[in-house]
This record gives sequence, C-alpha cells and structure tokens, in this order.
Amino acid sequence: MGLIGRLFARRRLERELDAELRFHLEQHTRDLVASGVDPAEARRQARLALGGVEQVKEAARDVRGTRWLDDLAADTRYALRMLRKAPGFTAAAIVTLALGIGANTAVFSVADALFLRHLPVERPTELFHFRRSTPVGPDTRFSAPAFRRYQAVLPSGVQLAGMGTTVGMYLVVDQAPERVAAQLVSGNWFQTLGVRSVRGRVFGPDDDRIADGHPVAVLSHQLWTRRFGGSDSVVGRTIRLNGAAFTVIGVAEPGFSGVGVERRTEVWVPAAMQRAVKYYFNANMNDVDNDKSWVDQDGASWLTLLGRAEPALLVEAENRFATVLRREITEATAQADSAVRALRAQERLTLEPAARGFSDLRDDLGTPLRLVIIIVGLVLLVACANLAGLLLARNTARAHEIAVRMSLGAIGGRLLRQVLTESLVLAILGGAVSLAVATIGGTALLRAAADGGPNPLDLRLDWRLGSFVAGISLLTGIAFGLPPALRVARTDLYDAFRSSGRVVSGNRGHAALGRRLVIGQIGLSLAIVVVAGVLVRSVQSLLAVDPGYDRAEVLSARIDVRGAGYQPADLPALYNRLEATIASVPGVSATALSTMGLASGSSASSSVEVPGKPRAPDWDNDVQVNAVSIGFLDATGIRLLKGRTFALSDGPKAPKVAIVTRAMARRFFETEDAVGLRFGYDKDPVFEVIGIVEDLRPNRLQDEPPPMMFLPLAQTGENFDYIYNVMARVHRDPAQVGAAVKAALTAAEPGLPVREIVTLGTLLERGVRQEQMASRVSGIFGILAALLAAVGLYGILSYSVARRTNELGVRLALGAAPGRLRLLVIGDSMRLVGAGVGLGLVLVMASLGLLRGLVHGVSPRDPIAVGTAVALLVTVGLAAAALPAWRASRVDPVEALRRD
Amino acid sequence: MNPDERRTDILQGMLDLVILKTVSSEPLHGYGIAQRIRLITAERFRIPQGSLYPALHRLENKGLLRGEWMPTATGREAKFYRLTAKGRRQLDTEIAGWRDLAATMTLVLGST
Repeated sequence: MGLIGRLFARRRLERELDAELRFHLEQHTRDLVASGVDPAEARRQARLALGGVEQVKEAARDVRGTRWLDDLAADTRYALRMLRKAPGFTAAAIVTLALGIGANTAVFSVADALFLRHLPVERPTELFHFRRSTPVGPDTRFSAPAFRRYQAVLPSGVQLAGMGTTVGMYLVVDQAPERVAAQLVSGNWFQTLGVRSVRGRVFGPDDDRIADGHPVAVLSHQLWTRRFGGSDSVVGRTIRLNGAAFTVIGVAEPGFSGVGVERRTEVWVPAAMQRAVKYYFNANMNDVDNDKSWVDQDGASWLTLLGRAEPALLVEAENRFATVLRREITEATAQADSAVRALRAQERLTLEPAARGFSDLRDDLGTPLRLVIIIVGLVLLVACANLAGLLLARNTARAHEIAVRMSLGAIGGRLLRQVLTESLVLAILGGAVSLAVATIGGTALLRAAADGGPNPLDLRLDWRLGSFVAGISLLTGIAFGLPPALRVARTDLYDAFRSSGRVVSGNRGHAALGRRLVIGQIGLSLAIVVVAGVLVRSVQSLLAVDPGYDRAEVLSARIDVRGAGYQPADLPALYNRLEATIASVPGVSATALSTMGLASGSSASSSVEVPGKPRAPDWDNDVQVNAVSIGFLDATGIRLLKGRTFALSDGPKAPKVAIVTRAMARRFFETEDAVGLRFGYDKDPVFEVIGIVEDLRPNRLQDEPPPMMFLPLAQTGENFDYIYNVMARVHRDPAQVGAAVKAALTAAEPGLPVREIVTLGTLLERGVRQEQMASRVSGIFGILAALLAAVGLYGILSYSVARRTNELGVRLALGAAPGRLRLLVIGDSMRLVGAGVGLGLVLVMASLGLLRGLVHGVSPRDPIAVGTAVALLVTVGLAAAALPAWRASRVDPVEALRRD
Repeated sequence: MNPDERRTDILQGMLDLVILKTVSSEPLHGYGIAQRIRLITAERFRIPQGSLYPALHRLENKGLLRGEWMPTATGREAKFYRLTAKGRRQLDTEIAGWRDLAATMTLVLGST
C-alpha cells in the first residue's frame, strides 16, 4: 500500500494492528499455559515480552509515514478545543485577523485585476503597443496613414493592429435605443489578438479598406446573450450605432470583452467607419477636416497601435518602426527652424508590453494603490503584533499546564508545533472570514475610487484570490504564532513551578517581548495616521484652491448631442432652444455655452503667434482655446480684469476678437495690459484682444493655470458640433434647480439624452478622486490600526497591573494614595506611547517619498497632521490606561498579600 | 547523527535480514516469526518482540513483504507475511553482502 493509500486506510490499519497484537498475545499466553504456567502469570509474561502494547502501536504507526498527519489532526482537534474554551479570545482574534487579512485581500483583488491579470487571449505576453515619448510627455496615438506606413515595414512574424478608444455609442435594435461600449478596430485586430468567433466570423483585413465602406459589426458574447438571447439568427441582422446602419457578421468568443481592463467593450466596428459612427474622441488633431474621414488624414492621431511579436523579433521590429518615425519627423520639420527640429528629434518610439491590457484606472490609481498596499501591510503587521501579544499573555496563563506536560515527557518541539497549530487554525479561520471582508472591501475601495458609478472591475473569487488568502493566512499565522510558541518551547520548568498556582506568573522575558510588540503597534499606527492626516489635509487644501470660476453656483448639464442623431445644421437652433429652456427654469439666472465644458476634462489647444515676437520651439506656443457664448464670463463668474466681455456685435462678419487670461497675456505679450494688441494662429494676426480675465484652472485643481483664450461662438460657427455642456448659473439650491432643469430638458427635447446635471464643484471633486481615495482608505486603516494598538496597550497594562498586584497591595498598605497608583499606570502607558510615537515618527520620516505626487499644497511633514496623529495616539494611550489604572487603585491590600 | 542512532540502524538492518530469511521458506504470522527466530538463533539474539511489528510493517510498506489475513491451523484469523519477488531479490543481495563482509573480516582477522 502506498503512502496515499495508508493515509486513507487509517482506520482499517488501526483495527488490523490491534488484531495482530491481540493474536500475538493470545498465542504466547496459550503456549505458556501449555508449558504449565498459571494463566494469569502467562498473560503477564506475554505482555512483558511484547513490551507494552501502546508503545508497539506507536512505533508501528511511526513506520506508516503518516505520523505527521495524525499529529496534525490531533493538534488541530486540540487547538479547536482550546479555542472553544476561550470564546472571547477566539472571537477577538478572528475579527482582528479577518480585518487585517481582509484588507490585504481586498487590496490584492484590486491590484490583481489592475496590475497582474493577463488578457484572456492567445499568448498575451507576446502583445505590445506603441508608445511615443515626446518632450511634453508620452503619447500612444497615431494617425491611420502612419499606421499603414508602420504596417508596410513589418518584419515577418510580427502583426500590427490599430484601435480607437472604447466609447459609449447608441445602439438601436428594433427601435429601443441603449448605450453600449463600442470600439473602432482595424481589420486584422481580432487575428492579432487571436480571438475567434462563436457565431459567424470576426473581421478580416478586407473589412477595413475603404473609408465609410464597411457597415459590419461584431458583438461581444456578453452583449449577444444579454440583448439577443444568444440567438443564432443574430448574424445578418441590422443594428444602428449612433444612427448608422450595420450588419452583424459575428459574435466574439465568450470571456473576451476587449483589451480594456475596466471598460468592457460590447461591439466592434471597422476603423474605416470612424465618420459614420461620429467618433471624435481622444485624438491629437493638427489641421484636420472633420467633414472627411480621419482614415485618410495624417493630422488626426487617434489609433492606438497594438501588435504581436515573439520576443526574439521585438528588437528588429522596434528598430524598423523607429526608422519610419525618424523619417516622418525629418520630412515634417524640413521647413521648420533648428530649435523645432532639435525638439522633435528627441521623440522616441518604444514597444511596451500589453499583456495586461489597457487601463486608465491603472495609471490613476497606481500611486495611491502603492501607498494603500503598504498601509494594509502595516495594518496586518499591527494585527500580528497584537495577536502575538494576546497569545503571549494566554500562554503565560497556561504556563503551569505547559510545565506539567513538559515534565510528563512532552518535548519542546512537539509543544511548539502544537502551539503553532493553534495560531495557524486561528489564522485560517480569520482568513476564511476575511474573504467576505475582502469582497465587500474591494468593491468599496473601487467605489471610493471610481466616481460612485458601477464597479468597473471584475473582482471574482478565483483560484488566484484563494491562493493569496491561503498564503497570507499561513504567513500571518506563523508571524504572530512563532514568537510566543518559541517562548513556550523554552519554558523553564523551575520558574513555572515556583510560581505555580498563580494565574499569572512573572516572567520578565514575556513582559519585555509584550511591551516591544505594543511599542511596535503604536509606532506603525502613528505612521498610518500621520499619512492619513497629511492626505486629508492635502485634499482639503486642493478643494480650497480657487479654480477661477464659481463652482458652487454653476450647474453643468451634460448632454449627448452626437449620439442623439442631430444633424450639424440643426445644432445652432437646438442650442438656442436648450438655453431658452434652461433659462426659463425658476432659480436659473443665466446660461452659457462653451465648446470645452469647465471641469469636464476636455480641452483643446492651438499654437498662436504674436507679430514681431519670435516663435518658441513648438509646444511652447500652445494655448488652450475655448469658444463661448456671449454671457459665458458672467454666468460662470470668471473675473474680467481689463477691457470688455463679448457682445452681440461680435458677430460672424465683425472683426475677430479674443479674451485672454492673465497667464496668456504675460507669456505672449509680456504685459498684463494687452487689450488692443493682436495675434493669430500664424503670421496673420486676425484676433484683437478685447479683454483680460483672471487665471483659471479649467479642468483640474492640481494643475497650474495654463495660458488660455476665449473666442465668441458666433465667430467660430463650424465648431458647433462639439458642445456637450450647457452651463446655468443658479441662485437657489443647486440640487433642486438641477432636478427642475433636467425635467424641463426632458420635456422639451425628449430625444436628447441628459447624462447628468451637477455643479462644477462636483465635477472638480471627481478630479481629486485618487487623492480622496488615498485619504479615505488610509484614514479608515489608520483608525483600525489605532484601535488595534489600543487593545494591545490595554492588554499589556492589565497584565502588568495583575502581575504587580502584590507590590501595589504593599504600597497601599504602607499608605500610598490610590491616585499615585493610578498615575503609575498612566505613566507606564505614556512611556509606551512615547516610545511608540518616537518609532512612528522615524517611520514617517523614512517613508515620506511614498506621498510624492499625492500631496498638494501641504508639506508631507505637515505639523497639524503630525500633531493630530500624536494627540490621537496619546488619547488612545490614556483611554487604554483608564481601566487598568482604576483597577490598580482599587487593589485590596489584604487580598493582595494573602495571595502570596 | 549521533553514534546511538547509527548502532540502531545496523541492528535494524540485521533484524530486517533475519526476518526476510525467516519468512523465505513459508508464510508466517508475527508470533510465528518471533518463535522461529528464537529457535534458529538458539536465543542468542534477544530480539525484543515489540520491535518485530514495526519492522514487519516497514518491510511491508517497502514492498519486500506482503501481509495477508488467513486462518491458522486452529482456525483463528492471523496476518501471515510472505516474501515478495522484490523481497527475494533484496534477500539475495543482502546475503551476498553479508557473506562478502564475513569473508573479508575473516581475512582481516586471520592475516596477523
């Protein structure tokens, strides 16, 4: 029988062993009786000869090789029995562990989804994407003609596909419109990824050749089952996307929902159909005619290039692509001056791994998540120290029992294993409970990060999460179980018996280790609380930054004009109607339109020239451009410093005028009094500056105010297609007025989807989401850690009071005031807190680098944050000392002395 | 490894060989093996009966012996051990090894 067989046949083997030995004894006894020995004496002699049935059995069991398992089972049963006997301790330990492990598991589940998991495609590690580094930052967008130029130089064995951003589009099947996540992809995109179809076919290269010429679509498996009931007849059906008709040609394989991590794509159409589905997103535009398809325009960079190559071919591919880029730059800058040439010559093309897919959230959350990972790790350390302290105290209470068992022959190693099993059982129970904590916590973590919308990530309980929990539970169990277990194994019998009979034995080693553990807990908690405090202060200071407009009184109605199918010719009239409708709502005092909504995240830039002033190389000439309605400045509260605002007279035929910000005036005119000066997009200075406004932060509070200019909408008519935000100034409760505005809009324009109506303040707050997430999460964990430290401190103080009952009794008997004894305990607590705070401050100073990029407007050493944290921990110390101090003062001298 | 343990190992190896040899002629139960060893060695080897069973189980786990429950002459069920093919090969090897060792020792001791 093999080892595994023996493992499972335990019961039968035991029975057989028993029968075999019984047979032996009976035979021997019978032989002895036959030779004339008295039956009772014969039985005795037979037993003696065999040498103790139980010892023989034990030896035989050892031989089986399953001994460790039997021991483990016995230890586990023993551990469970011991834990049942102390339900309070067990519950406290499991809750502590569930929180500590759960926090780590929650963070792991998010980190796994964002940073570790690979795309469900063939050999994901072969995937790469293009990245162009420029002096103003990296860019991953390329034009369709550039994509074709790169494809022309592909080494054999390398594939290259292009794709747009996944965006919301309006899907109409049988009259019922709904918003779906759609993506434009090149014809070879599915082949490049190695994704097949379950019905019909996916695109091939021939589905993406002629601009506007391929009205075909592929559905995701998920959309197919959800919207079409998994029907076979879906292939060949006609659907409408943003108003254009498409024929469904296939369904992608199950489990595949695109290459975005948090954005699941539901329908794909060929990149050639860009104009048909009115896709005007995430593009770098340079001299582009939007009435024509982007597919043939070099100025529109909008495709992310995704490729596949075996690792051996990557270098060759990268070299060839880089050569193409260098040639393009040389051609593009042939006419430019040397400074521009030098700047553009710095551009580099690299191939980045794309196995884990694409994620905005990954970039947004990367920094705060790293901090959170460290914080939850620290929380778990605090929890470990806490439990180690508890176990230490428990084992001290059990010192007598342990000493008895050792003197009965239990060896240290065996006892160590037994005590360790107890902590492992605790850790595993805590880990199991932590799964619930993690599922709820991970979702909450993402919700804190993601605008309160639906949870964008797939946080499933899979084998990865399972093995993480199992692994971290075991490590935790060893971390908090080993130090006390080692102490047990080294139990000094003499010491233990000398103090026998007393519940708590005075062991200096135990006390010192316990105190060190508590100091560690306080130090780590202080570090977390300081970080949380700095982050909270940073968010406060960010939100207090003046954006340059009135955020609380201005509503932004976010509308989806393009998806609703309005024709460009309808738009001026539509916007007039919208403004009139909104203005008629009680509580609204003014309305405004702008091509780039404030705090909406969108912006447009253009380079400008001032006559007589030499151009700076390239991007330094860029200013943000926003075309606005006449009442825009008044409605939004942007402050006019000099000159005038736009008037009705600034019409299409009137001379072109502009209002510029102070930053733009300073940069381009080197004076803040630029009214009356002229500038243009090129050598022709078509614009006259008619006003200067105070600087503003159009999108993010974190950014410095950029140079900006405003143009009257009436003089830039062709851009009308792009307005998604109508702003309204209110003089009453914004939430209430917002609801009324929404009702009025829905009544007046039933076909126009209104995404939301919120104040600019709400939009700005979303811009600080990563800072807010980091501050909230670290705040929660800071409090958790401080609570754990309080429990640990309370434990050590109670222990110390109990241990010193004698001494306290003597002092009282000799006339010490109870108040002095209370101070003794409180002083003890403060010494521990002081040491912990010192340790914590050292930790904080050593880890300030982690806060880089997350802190705005406050120093990472912010005295208020540090002071508050220290005050909190001192309060914790006082609170934890209260009960033990009271007990110390209430010691009954007679009782205390009698106990010795 | 301390010297005590090494000595146990040698003893264990000898006990194994003795057991294999004992059951090589016919299947025997544990008590029978103990009796047989006592007879053959003329009680010169005092093998504690208690160490017999762990050794038997170890040899069984190694696949050198096979245990089988069978009725004895008196009709009681007992576990009989018989040599497997592998056990027989092992026995032959060990016997050869012992003979070698004995011959060598004889040579060494007789040479002076």
